[in-house]
Amino acid sequence: MATQDKRLPPQPLRSVGRSLLLTLPIAVWSLLMFGHFWQPDRSAQIASVTTAVFMIALFFMMMRTSRTYRWRRWFFVALGLLFPVGFIHQVIAMRGTMGIPIEEMIAGRTPFCYIPIPMLILPAALMKTVVFPGSIRPHGGMSGGGMAAMAGIWLAMTLVIGKGWCSYACFFGGIEEGMASVPPKAKVRKIDPRWRYGPWAVLLVMVLMSLALFEPAYCMWLCPFKAVSEYVAARNTVGTVQNGIFVLLFATLVIALPLLTKKRTQCAFFCPFGAFQSIFNKTSIFDVKIDRSRCTPCVLCQKSCPTLSLTDESIVKGETLMSCMKCGACVDACPKDAAVWHIKGTEVAVKPERARLMFLYAAWAMAIMFGGSIIAEGLQTILHVFI
Amino acid sequence: MLNSSPMGPTSLFGEAMALGLASGPACVASCGPVLVPSSLAEGAGLRLNVRYLSAFLGMRFLGYLVFAALAWEVGTLLSVAPTARSLVFGTVHILLAGVLLWYAYAAGRICTHACAGSELVTIGPSGKRGVPGAAVLGFLTGVSLCPPFVAAAVRVAELGSLAAALFFFTVFFVGTSVWFVPFVGLGYVRRNEAVTTVARMAMVLVAFYYAYLGLMMLVGRSAYGYPR
Repeated sequence: MATQDKRLPPQPLRSVGRSLLLTLPIAVWSLLMFGHFWQPDRSAQIASVTTAVFMIALFFMMMRTSRTYRWRRWFFVALGLLFPVGFIHQVIAMRGTMGIPIEEMIAGRTPFCYIPIPMLILPAALMKTVVFPGSIRPHGGMSGGGMAAMAGIWLAMTLVIGKGWCSYACFFGGIEEGMASVPPKAKVRKIDPRWRYGPWAVLLVMVLMSLALFEPAYCMWLCPFKAVSEYVAARNTVGTVQNGIFVLLFATLVIALPLLTKKRTQCAFFCPFGAFQSIFNKTSIFDVKIDRSRCTPCVLCQKSCPTLSLTDESIVKGETLMSCMKCGACVDACPKDAAVWHIKGTEVAVKPERARLMFLYAAWAMAIMFGGSIIAEGLQTILHVFI
Repeated sequence: MLNSSPMGPTSLFGEAMALGLASGPACVASCGPVLVPSSLAEGAGLRLNVRYLSAFLGMRFLGYLVFAALAWEVGTLLSVAPTARSLVFGTVHILLAGVLLWYAYAAGRICTHACAGSELVTIGPSGKRGVPGAAVLGFLTGVSLCPPFVAAAVRVAELGSLAAALFFFTVFFVGTSVWFVPFVGLGYVRRNEAVTTVARMAMVLVAFYYAYLGLMMLVGRSAYGYPR
């Protein structure tokens, strides 16, 4: 397919009044979540207000410009950068170190992360045991909410927005999205499309290994984000090797490859949770379609997709692959408005803006509740240094 | 023969079957990382999958019998010098890793497109002269040390005769094999480039793990580096 007109047509701006009106529900939700103006801690107060203003402003800009990806990216990168700040501070305050000693794991005093969720299902079904060494009680573990709360939030949101979780809630993906947006052009453009199957292979192996070893194998051996959260408290060479694997995967998949390819390489080629989450794109009522009557095709959507979720074949079919994270990059990039938000069961390109709004209200409400609180905590940690 | 065992054949049968059935989920867990990806790398179809599973389980049974004879002969493998034990099982794990890597390569060589070949993936020379990979993998998982195996081996070591030991392991095998029947369903999974590629990538990852485990065993350490 030949690339044709690459210039984006100027988008008509929505009026300020109408944009404000559309932002109102999100503003109310933000203030409910972060409007703790009476807090005695000044840094917490400032962090909450800043987060609320930040989230409302981004949503307002999404409404005003009708662009999604450009503004969502600010939130997502902030989330990715501020999560380690708040988390590492909390870990060090409680434990004095970023390393988890084995005694802490056995005692279940580990914060629960959503990534091992798919790896817990088989051991739980066959052996009636949750292999993650975290607390299942509310307020148990370092996460506060505990395993049950995290799994509940994840399930509720996942059923609605599907793999949109990976673009509006994941506190890891923002780091590589930030890295991918640094270079103006990709240095590596030819990527073997078969690498797209990587997450499924990692998922398959990790599910089977978690059952065989009776432990969350991914957390023990392959999680790149251990490099910026909590690593293994190494007491022998193997501990050092485990930490070495975490750092190597992080440096390669989260830093180097996104810089070279301008893609979210960890998400696209490695993350087993992302593969699992793809299944829920089938349950979500929202998806992104290509309106064949408008498509030229210039493949700008394909080039802009950070997870290679558009192929020549899928564009011909007028749809994205099931790995689509609903980040909105393709919709923003399309000069003909052929890439559109869509609600399943409705005709393609009939009131796509309404579909976008409905999706964004759900996704942004979750982003505020889940990611916003992480951003506020990270900001508060930084402000504590100065105030 | 069997009557020389302090227990009668019926109670021996009952104990072995109960142990096998109870250990089944653990057996599935132990063999799953090898069985599932290699099975998915084969062609689709119930018949081919039954043949794959038969070859895998048949040779796993042979592995069991070798193990039974050895367990009875040496009293119990647990009493063998740790160095020799680590050497044997470390070598088995490294062999398993090598075969998995070869399998991943061979599956790619055969299943390039629709992956609808009616023959099992073979290890070694291509064509009919190669040994079915399922059989090699089945044998190597059969002689690997897994928790249910140790439980059975300890019991076998207490039996009075080799025949009783073999009988015990045969019934134990049948008990565990019941849990493998659902794997036939993998034959119904549609094979395309995605499934075959995922299966091959998964085999490479599992091979790395077994190679690492084997090396750690050879140096007398557990997976987490503690002395065995």
